[in-house]
This record gives sequence, C-alpha cells and structure tokens, in this order.
Amino acid sequence: MTQRNSNRSNPLSCAEFQEQLPDLFAAGANGLIEDPSLLEHLKTCENCSALVRDLQYIADQAKQLLQPTHEPSDNVWKKIQEGLASDPSYAVEPNEK
Amino acid sequence: MEVQGLQMTEPKTAPGLFKRNPPIAGEAEAIERAKAGDAEAFSKLYALHKRRVYTLCLRMLGNVSEAEDMTQEAFLHLFRKIGSFRGESAFSTWLHRLTVNLVLMHLRKKGLQLVSLEETINPSEEDSPKRDFGSRDTQLAGSVDRVALERAVASLPPGYRMVFVLHDVEGFEHNEIAVMLECSTGNSKSQLHKARLKLRELLRQTEPTQQADLKEAAL
Repeated sequence: MTQRNSNRSNPLSCAEFQEQLPDLFAAGANGLIEDPSLLEHLKTCENCSALVRDLQYIADQAKQLLQPTHEPSDNVWKKIQEGLASDPSYAVEPNEK
Repeated sequence: MEVQGLQMTEPKTAPGLFKRNPPIAGEAEAIERAKAGDAEAFSKLYALHKRRVYTLCLRMLGNVSEAEDMTQEAFLHLFRKIGSFRGESAFSTWLHRLTVNLVLMHLRKKGLQLVSLEETINPSEEDSPKRDFGSRDTQLAGSVDRVALERAVASLPPGYRMVFVLHDVEGFEHNEIAVMLECSTGNSKSQLHKARLKLRELLRQTEPTQQADLKEAAL
C-alpha cells in the first residue's frame, strides 16, 4: 500500500481514495487500512465506505463459485476414451483385468 | 493436440490453496493406479474432477462447445502427463493450472487478446465501470446469491472475466496471472478491480428484478 498521502494536510477526495483501492485489495489490507489519510477518508465518506464493503463482499462471494455448477455432457468422456484407446502413449491397461 | 510450452511442473501452491483444494477421498489411490495405466483409475479421476474442470473452462470461454472440447483436451493431457505428478501440490491445483494453460493457449491460437487493451487503457462507455462518486449507498451484503453472481460474472467483458475467475474464484496470485496472461502485475490488479466494480454495478442493477421476482412468487 502506498504511503504517499500519509503526511498530507488536505483530506483525500473520493477519486484519490479510489485510485488506491486496487493496491489496497491486492495487499490483502481490506478492513485493515493503516494509512491515516485513507483511514480518515473511509471514516468520513459513506460512499467509499460502502464501496469497500461491497467490493470485499463480492471477493468473498466469489469463493462460492469454486464449487462447480456445470456438468459436461456424456459425449466428453466418450471422446476421451476414444482418445485414450487410439493413442499408444497412454499405455492404458484394458478394462477387463 | 500438440501442447508446446505448457507448464507441467508442479506450482508452488499459494497460501490457502491447499485449504481450498483439499484431497478427495480415493483420489490418491486413483492417481497411483492411473500412473500405472489403469483405465478404471482414469475413469475415477474424471468422475471426481470433470465438473470443476468443465466449469472452469466454461467460465473462461463462455461457450459450451469449446468448454467441452477443452475439458476433453485437459483430461487427455492429464492422463498423458500424470506420471510427472509428484504430489507436491494439491492434485486439483495441478489439474486446474494445466487446464488454465490449455485454455489460454487455445485463446491465443484463436488470436484473441487475453487482456483487452480497450478494457485496460481506454474502456468503452459500455464496459467501463462507473465511478462511484455521489452514488446512492445500497449495500450488496447479504443480497447476492450464487446464481445472481454467476450470471453477473458471465456477462463481464472477457478480459475482466478472465482475471476475476483466475484470482477471486480459482485463487491464483497476481504475479501468477501476470505470467499466464503475459501482462504486468499492475495490469492484473487493475483488471481485477475493474471487474469487481463492474460486478457491483451489474449486481445492483439486478437487485430490483430479484425483489420483484420474489414479490411475484409470494403472490
């Protein structure tokens, strides 16, 4: 996270605050903002505060999507079996062992 | 399919990725049997992982036919190379990285730009996430279900969707994504941020519809 605004006397604008967000989130600093100027803006700006909450919520919800929801058709496995059977490099033992 | 330059070494697993990809019952035994060429073990591994591999392909490609073709390629490649899997990372992590690399190679062969310059440097009016200045404060927390999020992700511009799926869903780090997509780490961070902003916008738009649907269903 950048510290370039930490000693400034003027409060950050929303644009300045939001410019920092990609790095802030990438650093995993969500909810743990230490830069005083960023912290001050977050405390006083409801819009940016809501934005940070929403973006964190979306990132958290995305983890749900790791669980699969879609199933390939049976044709995929059929083609894989054909590929296995036709390529000697697989060295597959026959099913009937 | 000739796969050149495909990384088959096991990745250094990112923190938390083993936790997100825990071993599956029966998987280790199936891997060992598959290494010996046991066809039933291949079938078992396919059954265990087909849905996640296919879902990953579908999210990256947005097309059922291509997703099925790439699922087929991924498993054929897996079965050809399974002897090189040493168990230093989660098997699913290894398989997913292999799949991601195959899909990215497929997209490059099609001549598609994986990180769109338009989205990165000069976002179009339609694709550009809107700045949040002065917008109403509507919290998303608690209001977004998995189906709504899945739909919103599917409607993201391809460049945004790619980085979002790789980072927020699959758990890859920005430096890994930068290598995969041949872009800078900063670009990956920027694309991800824009993707999340766009998702927020899309999810806010769907909220009234969902509420109307719920009211209608209650009548």
